[in-house]
Amino acid sequence: MLGTLLISAIIFTDADSLPLRSQNLDEVDIVSGTTTGRNRSVKGQAAGIDEHISVLRNVNMVRRGSYAWEPVVNNMQTERLSTTIDGMKIFYACTDKMDPVTSYVESGNLQSISLNSGLNGNPQATGNIGGSLDLRLRKAGFDAQPFRLNVLGGHEWNGHLQVYGVDAALSGSRAYANLGAFRRDADCYNVGGGSRLQFSQFHKINLFSNLGFRLSGNDILEGTVIFDRATDVGYPALNMDVSTAQGLITSVSYRHLFSTASWETKAYYNHIIHIMDDTTRPDVAIHMDMPGDSWTTGLYSLLLTSFASHDIALNYDLYYNRLFADMTMYPGGAAPMYMVTWPDVGTLNTGLALTDDISISSRHNLHLSAKVAWQRQKLNNEEGYHAQKVFFPMMKDYYHQTTGRVAALYSFAATDNLGFSAGTGWGSRAPTVTEAYGYYLNNTYDQYDYIGNPTLKNESAIELNASADFSKGLFSVGADANIFLFSNYIIGHFEPRLSAMTVGAEGVKVYGNLKHATIANLSLTGGLEGRFVQLSGKVSYSRGRDNQGDALPLIAPITWQTDLDFAKGPWSGQIEVKGNGRQKVWGQKYGETASARWTILNLSAQYRYRYLTVRAGVENLLDKYYATYADWNDIPQKGRNIYVNLTIEI
Amino acid sequence: MRIKNYLIAGVAVLLGTALNSCNSNDDQGTQDIEIPGVTFDGDTDCCSAEEALQVFRFLETVKIIPELSTVVDGKYNVFAYSRTGKFNVGYNELYFVVTKKKNGNYVKNYELTDLSPVMLMVKMNMRHSTPVSGPAESFNDSYAAVKRTWISFIMSSGESGSWTLGYNVSVLGSKGSVEEADITVDPLPAGQEWVKSFKQGDDTYYISIVNPTDLKTGANTLKAYVSKKSTPATTPYAIASESFRVDIDPRMPDMGNHTSPDNTPLTRQADGSYQGTVNLTMTGLWRIHFTVRDLQGNIVAGGDDLKDGYSSLFWDVTL
Repeated sequence: MLGTLLISAIIFTDADSLPLRSQNLDEVDIVSGTTTGRNRSVKGQAAGIDEHISVLRNVNMVRRGSYAWEPVVNNMQTERLSTTIDGMKIFYACTDKMDPVTSYVESGNLQSISLNSGLNGNPQATGNIGGSLDLRLRKAGFDAQPFRLNVLGGHEWNGHLQVYGVDAALSGSRAYANLGAFRRDADCYNVGGGSRLQFSQFHKINLFSNLGFRLSGNDILEGTVIFDRATDVGYPALNMDVSTAQGLITSVSYRHLFSTASWETKAYYNHIIHIMDDTTRPDVAIHMDMPGDSWTTGLYSLLLTSFASHDIALNYDLYYNRLFADMTMYPGGAAPMYMVTWPDVGTLNTGLALTDDISISSRHNLHLSAKVAWQRQKLNNEEGYHAQKVFFPMMKDYYHQTTGRVAALYSFAATDNLGFSAGTGWGSRAPTVTEAYGYYLNNTYDQYDYIGNPTLKNESAIELNASADFSKGLFSVGADANIFLFSNYIIGHFEPRLSAMTVGAEGVKVYGNLKHATIANLSLTGGLEGRFVQLSGKVSYSRGRDNQGDALPLIAPITWQTDLDFAKGPWSGQIEVKGNGRQKVWGQKYGETASARWTILNLSAQYRYRYLTVRAGVENLLDKYYATYADWNDIPQKGRNIYVNLTIEI
Repeated sequence: MRIKNYLIAGVAVLLGTALNSCNSNDDQGTQDIEIPGVTFDGDTDCCSAEEALQVFRFLETVKIIPELSTVVDGKYNVFAYSRTGKFNVGYNELYFVVTKKKNGNYVKNYELTDLSPVMLMVKMNMRHSTPVSGPAESFNDSYAAVKRTWISFIMSSGESGSWTLGYNVSVLGSKGSVEEADITVDPLPAGQEWVKSFKQGDDTYYISIVNPTDLKTGANTLKAYVSKKSTPATTPYAIASESFRVDIDPRMPDMGNHTSPDNTPLTRQADGSYQGTVNLTMTGLWRIHFTVRDLQGNIVAGGDDLKDGYSSLFWDVTL
């Protein structure tokens, strides 16, 4: 109940809903045809997964090309976030973070993407200091519309991006099925001003299926298979591209429904293969092969129940993940050089989580969540282990860590028009495999080779957050703020004793714990809502400081966005102006360069006629040349881009 | 070392099985051991069955060098082995066993001395020797009948010249020898240089690394010998009596001279060898630049800046 309330209470939703909201929960809908007023991309389902995620609050995207963007939540990247697919753990396989796990699904696989900001994670999330994303798979469910067919085609002129997709949903009282196939192809895009950005192409296919069987009145068996394969993916911000990034995601779950509870147990397996490729690049100093593999198998068992004023979720999870990556370099004529960059690290992790949503009264709500997790890591590759031992002679080939989080959020609706929330939490995370055991991983952002540090301490943070919303008539305003006070913040430290491996690298950094660091985010929103027209605006400001008061890298500068939305009958449209201010504070110490200010103008329109929806628009209408602070190595964004897409829903 | 441990473990298992399977026959508990060509006739000059088995097992890990075999007094066979059955430039270990002709069993006590490799450089009609160890010695108590010595060849056989090798052997009072047997010394493949020379005053020294093929990614003990050129040059070059310290600086020329931290100098050990630690961060070609210093730290050789900024003295190893 409360969950629904929270979700529906996104900025500028229907005026009827209470201005009660949590800054901790946000969700973007991907399936079209559901109620209006929810967060969704103006491109509809044709939007790429990254474009859908971009719609979420507190989210920015690190771009290394036009594919596989890395979500940043509350100015924290992958290592401080949890990403799950319907509660399943999945870990990327590229040592250079070219494949955030969100790249292994396709919009059409999903119903929605939910984001829990900060430490208040979804039950399966572990190590989520900045937030947790859960990609919710599309399930027809029982006794829904017996047959649905979705056909999708889209074209974007800039980069000649083509999107094709077909998915079908079958539903009965005993069984349901979702099946889909999707394809995306893009050439290199043009940046503002018209020049072509080399190595920004990608190709992707995706097949998925969800099946559900009702074994008896209260027993449900469900299964998922997703196969996703991207090929010839260019990374203009990096020195290499990707020849193949392939994910196989499978699960089987069993759900039993009690009168006031449901109990789901899911077992899953996923395997990611990631193969980098530098053969299409000119002037490669040394040709390299850099494959990576990630295997994860696990289970979770989730009990959802409610009694009195409590909505309770109790979750147990267990997973085992293996990460292996190596690198072979071929200097002309001489012997190949080989190193293990992720030493086949096996992580066995198990955790127990409890969430309680308490409706104290119609105006007072309390959300509590807690999780404790234990993990053991073993370095299974002897060569990699001995290599890293050069730097850490006392290191062992196994480690274990215990992490946990507790968070509380209190929401109070003072009147029908005025709401407040305040929350706090504490949580910790174990170092990632890259941070603990990565070996000479070249970071093209600051041009250093990074070596993992197996002696790292867990990083932890205290989070404080608060929000206030006020609405009166057509007018609404809101403010959100959060601050994360870190202890043992993990970041790379320059180690002058060591010599870089990568040709052209500045030196070597070894991950270490900073005693303290702080990240704070503030956003202000305002809106005016008329009968057919809605105006909304948002300004965000963030700061990140290390223990010496210097700026952390990849913290957003002042960001703003104004949308004017129209909706009348089958027509809707949007004019959007958004931009970033000049980056006045940047992580110079950490190799960051300041980004310039930019503003762009986007237009979009949608028309619905019976089964047919047509969406068209122009992004970056004025063809501005710009790069955001999160564009890796300042690669420029797309120039003017006209798109049209067509959805037929039967 | 690992091979040795495996061998010991393997033999222990074998023996354990053999002994256990025979415990109804306590007096002759080892009668099951059979080695092709070896008869156990109780000859006390020779190995017991257990000892012989271990020798036999060791010999299965090395290859014979037929040109260095000889017969002493018509009673004993002397066989020489190396890891590959061949010689290469740089450090080579040689293993010897002596068998009695009558029973084929390995003789426990013999002396193998005066290993004398000589290169005849045809064009210059000049002869010189190369660094060698002293007399062959037992090196493992489990198969003490195998004796080991080493030669470090400073050049390969070829158009410029050819190598011969001789030695003296004394078995239970009988003496024999191999005189100037022709041998072939193969050049090392590209990316391998295991022996280098340096000068101190008028003296020439050779420094040979012992375990280049054992090096792996990670921390390694690097072992070497320093030998001094003799006068006349045809006398084999013995281990130098002078002591040095050898600072090392491993680099990867193909990787912008990438290096590794915490390498330690090679210092002289009680057994006359030099040992230090070399850390190798990956496989591939490593150029281990080195600087020879005296015990006061003064540079004897190397330490000069070659055009790339590193000592002109170096070994190459390719992992």
